[in-house]
Amino acid sequence: MSKTYKHFQSERDVISQAAEKRRNLASWALTAPALIWLIIFFLIPYLIVVIYSFLTPDIYDVKFELSLDAYRQAFNPDYLMTLFQSFRLAILTTVLCLLLGFPVAYFIARAKDKTKNTLLVFIIIPFWTNLIIRIFSWRIFLAYNGVLNDMLINIGLISQPLEIMRTDLAVILVMVYVYLPYMILPLYSVLEKMDFTLLHAAMDLGANEIKAFFRITLPLSMEGIFAGSLLVFIPALGAYLIPQLVGNQKTLYLGQVITYKIKNIPRNWPMASALSLTLLFFVAILLVLLFTLYKRSKSRRIT
Amino acid sequence: MKRISSTKLYQGLNLTSFSLVMVFLYIPILILVIFSFNNAKIITGWKGFTLKYYAQLWDNDNIKQAFWNTMLIAGLSTLFSTVFGILTALGLENKKFSGRRLISGLIYIPLVIPDILMGVSLALLFNFTRVNTGMFTVLIAHITFCISYTVIVINSRLEGFDYSLVEAAMDLGAKPATIFWKVKLPLMLPGIIAAALLAFTLSIDDFIITFFTSGRGFDTLPIYVEGTIRRGTITTINSLSTLMIGFTLFLVIITKRIRKILISSL
Repeated sequence: MSKTYKHFQSERDVISQAAEKRRNLASWALTAPALIWLIIFFLIPYLIVVIYSFLTPDIYDVKFELSLDAYRQAFNPDYLMTLFQSFRLAILTTVLCLLLGFPVAYFIARAKDKTKNTLLVFIIIPFWTNLIIRIFSWRIFLAYNGVLNDMLINIGLISQPLEIMRTDLAVILVMVYVYLPYMILPLYSVLEKMDFTLLHAAMDLGANEIKAFFRITLPLSMEGIFAGSLLVFIPALGAYLIPQLVGNQKTLYLGQVITYKIKNIPRNWPMASALSLTLLFFVAILLVLLFTLYKRSKSRRIT
Repeated sequence: MKRISSTKLYQGLNLTSFSLVMVFLYIPILILVIFSFNNAKIITGWKGFTLKYYAQLWDNDNIKQAFWNTMLIAGLSTLFSTVFGILTALGLENKKFSGRRLISGLIYIPLVIPDILMGVSLALLFNFTRVNTGMFTVLIAHITFCISYTVIVINSRLEGFDYSLVEAAMDLGAKPATIFWKVKLPLMLPGIIAAALLAFTLSIDDFIITFFTSGRGFDTLPIYVEGTIRRGTITTINSLSTLMIGFTLFLVIITKRIRKILISSL
């Protein structure tokens, strides 16, 4: 009796194993188009970047002669300065977005359900508006003969137009403007799920607003802070368009230098490749660091 | 009593910052729209109302060409990346799939790398393979960056999927094909539409990857606008931008429901 049962069971195992194998095969077949596409157009291109970084530049192209010049140049002080500038910009943008975005996300999360959606739409509309248009609108606003200067002169606050366009201030301002929704949305989605009764409990137990914020709201919104910071920091690190359109040519950022090396003649593709890989390397380190930090904060919260 | 008043202060603080951020987000756009009707050739104060820059827009063949290029690329890349997205999401549904980690990795990694690097790497690929850059290379690039988004949006929709409906259909004797077309696909549809919409918007919006992969003679709207700003002739850019903002608003309004799915999956 038990023998036949066992036999039956193992037969069923065989059948389910076969079914699983078939399902696995089906999954490979379904994912194959995207997989092949991404191997050809995502992985292989990076391989070519690595190869090109060891070649010799030509005016329009590359010569297939091995050289380490690109890396040697990438680590000279000028380019290290560029890297430093890019990091400074990305950090500043992230911090400002967080400081500005947190209260906004908090406000939306605590609004009534009906207003919540309307408020979110207001955050999303700029997010869906074309990037170049948003940058361009700041040029009109900040230009020497622009609206801001016009207004300030009319009020009588200043007599000479301020030169904000083409300064580092303009770059940081527009960076924060463009990336703010990327910070607000993940913060909102975390804060929205937060149990606000915890705050009241803490305050009933004698914690003041500030203490309750640092002991409850902030730790509980860590996930959103990490996600938002990632969404802002990484694109900010490779920013090209904003510094190019509102910044000056004295402070160059990594994205600009990489683009010049590819677009401007004489081209230096090995150099662009080496700089791209440097950027990739720092992004990878950052991701690992953030991920560990995130995991640690999560495990600490549980214990 | 004290608690209530301080909470009000707290809320007031948040309301203030919310209003300030709203002003910050909308002032430049609003000014752009208003100044598209300004009768002046350069950036300057208000010189009177005019519609002539909208008329010029209509007469400008370069802009029209760039517009059609943008729509063509956006439409095709949306189509391809959405199909890839549906297939991949269906494949990833199988939790025991042996290629799960590999494929998820390939889908997620492009999202956490600055997009300028995708532009650079594709530019080098097309240089290495001696492919002439143009419409075809831009399309390839757009499909590549859209795939990650379509897979993630459709996949997140499948994760909240009610399997009892599929089981019910099976119990009632429906064939796998019938189940797919009659039960599964309709349930996936909101996710698919959200993914397609996201892909479309991302494609229209992209500058940097297009910049690296388009050759001379193939301009999308962002490329055209950037070039025009750089050359300093900005008269039609205001009116063009206003129309593009109008288009965004239109999209936001018609997709009220889909937005919720997008927000929850981001």
